[in-house]
Amino acid sequence: MVSPLLVLDLVERTGPLPLGATVAVPLDGSDDDVALVTAWCTRSGNSLVEVIDGVATVRRGPSPDPYADLDPDQIPGTRLWIYTNFDCNLACDYCCVRSSPQAERRALGADRVRKLAGEAVDAGVSELILTGGEPFLLPDLDDLVAACTAALPTTLLTNAMLLRGRRLEMLRRMDRDRLVLQISLDSPTPELHDRHRGARSWERAVAGIRTAQADGFRVRVAATLEPERFSELEPFKAFLDDLGIARDDQVIRALAHRGVADTGLELTVESLIPEITITADGVYWHPVSADHDDQLVTRELFPLADAIAEVKRRFVAHRAKADAAAQWFPCA
Amino acid sequence: MSKPLIIGSVAYTPNVVTIWEGIREYFGDGPAEMDFVLYSNYGRQVDALLAGEIDIAWNTNLAWVRTVAQTGGECRALAQRDTDTVFQTIFVARTGSALGGLEGLKGRRLALGSKDSAQAAILPVHYLHEAGLGDDDVELLRINSDVGKHGDTGRSELDALRAVMDDKADAAALGINTWEAIGRDELMPGAFEVFWESPTYSHCNFTALPTLSDERAAPWVEKLLAMDFDNPAHRPILEMEGLRQWVLPKMDGYASLFDAVKEQGISPRW
Ligand code: SF4
Repeated sequence: MVSPLLVLDLVERTGPLPLGATVAVPLDGSDDDVALVTAWCTRSGNSLVEVIDGVATVRRGPSPDPYADLDPDQIPGTRLWIYTNFDCNLACDYCCVRSSPQAERRALGADRVRKLAGEAVDAGVSELILTGGEPFLLPDLDDLVAACTAALPTTLLTNAMLLRGRRLEMLRRMDRDRLVLQISLDSPTPELHDRHRGARSWERAVAGIRTAQADGFRVRVAATLEPERFSELEPFKAFLDDLGIARDDQVIRALAHRGVADTGLELTVESLIPEITITADGVYWHPVSADHDDQLVTRELFPLADAIAEVKRRFVAHRAKADAAAQWFPCA
Repeated sequence: MSKPLIIGSVAYTPNVVTIWEGIREYFGDGPAEMDFVLYSNYGRQVDALLAGEIDIAWNTNLAWVRTVAQTGGECRALAQRDTDTVFQTIFVARTGSALGGLEGLKGRRLALGSKDSAQAAILPVHYLHEAGLGDDDVELLRINSDVGKHGDTGRSELDALRAVMDDKADAAALGINTWEAIGRDELMPGAFEVFWESPTYSHCNFTALPTLSDERAAPWVEKLLAMDFDNPAHRPILEMEGLRQWVLPKMDGYASLFDAVKEQGISPRW
């Protein structure tokens, strides 16, 4: 039997609260109490944030829309990242997934990529992003990409070092209308880029950009910068303009303290808006953490819809907790 | 442009600010702009109305009855919530008490809310009298935990229910809004049961004095009544204020409270 006093407490404690504020209501610990608080919240238009150690946190009014501050394409499950493999011809000193020529391949394989692409459509995903490692090391990359572009608009990340011979032929077989190439380039001159990514890599990346453009591909350039370099972006942007990269296709992001990077932004599940990421090892919260168990969501890749639902569930829970914390510690 | 109408309201929860800022914004695009002033209790608010400091007071039923008394019936009610036209007082007891009706309270203890709450104190005593129960027939436990706010906070009614749970009283009288807030008898089956429900009566209204011309009041009332529950911009305010639709006031719904105030000798002032 639940305690009627609990409902009286709930009404009394939430009544004086401003909308959005939370209050802690001690329960006597029984499951019935949790069910009662849940039922009362539903009925009264309030929301149960969490129950921890026999104390319910109740918010006055409905839960805020967890997606309210997000751009539409940031809503979890809109984009799906797929790590095709983890080995790489380069060994950048900031690589967030510790890729290198020595790294194990850990390839997803064409069958799983095809299955993912198919399920992604049904799960409401609107864009696929293929990354690695270096995808062009895979002999069947064109099959993988074809499976993806047949399903959804796709972006393929590459360091563009390998766009020659057989691999260039593979590129040429890809669907230009459905595929964007995203090529890494960190600076307008070789020095900085090469310092992180290896000797002569800048020159070859720029050549790769030109090759892809000449073959009719839309190229996006992604730069990974130490936070202090964000104050001097103009020369870089001017260089990219000259290369014929549209401003919308100039993606500049801060270095993350992940993988082999020894500095950079600290990124945690709580602070990162999820970008659902699939690797051969499991489903991860975000591509920067695809080699880190702290952001492993599940080892089960399929059904993809379940993995997406789980990420969304965790995101909503984090948001609710963060909102509650913001209410607990109001700014003075 | 005419100057905005000033509406008074009592701040019984911090959400009153949110509600009135929302309503002010709704009125912002004309033709009846308004602003609001908050008071800590209804006495202060009615004084301000009489002193001409505000044009319209968002009054409880008791504040309305007292304004009528102080103005010799000159004041008028402009509008109210749909829920104000069908307010009720609910008498509850522990499940299984088998009180059967108000007569069952003879010789028993009834917990009442704050003495200035129409729904939880003044009208309940009136209903007892109507049922033939005199002052000595029922032991009244008065719980004055939110005096000044006319029972708006519901706190005294919750305390009355606690008194029933604690066996300090056999029954409690509360407003239908508090009964709804605790989920009626549906969330806690076996805790409380209703043994008598009052007829419906009128609760809050927007009160104005004759000094407010029709020319100024009518566009404001018209715009108020046009708030639309199905409009996502209006709905949150209406939900917070506890209504679906603003309506013209149901004046005969105040008769029982006028009678109760008279028979109990409740003063027209504070
Ligand atoms: S950052 Fe990209 S190119 Fe560099 S090692 Fe990692 S996967 Fe390879």
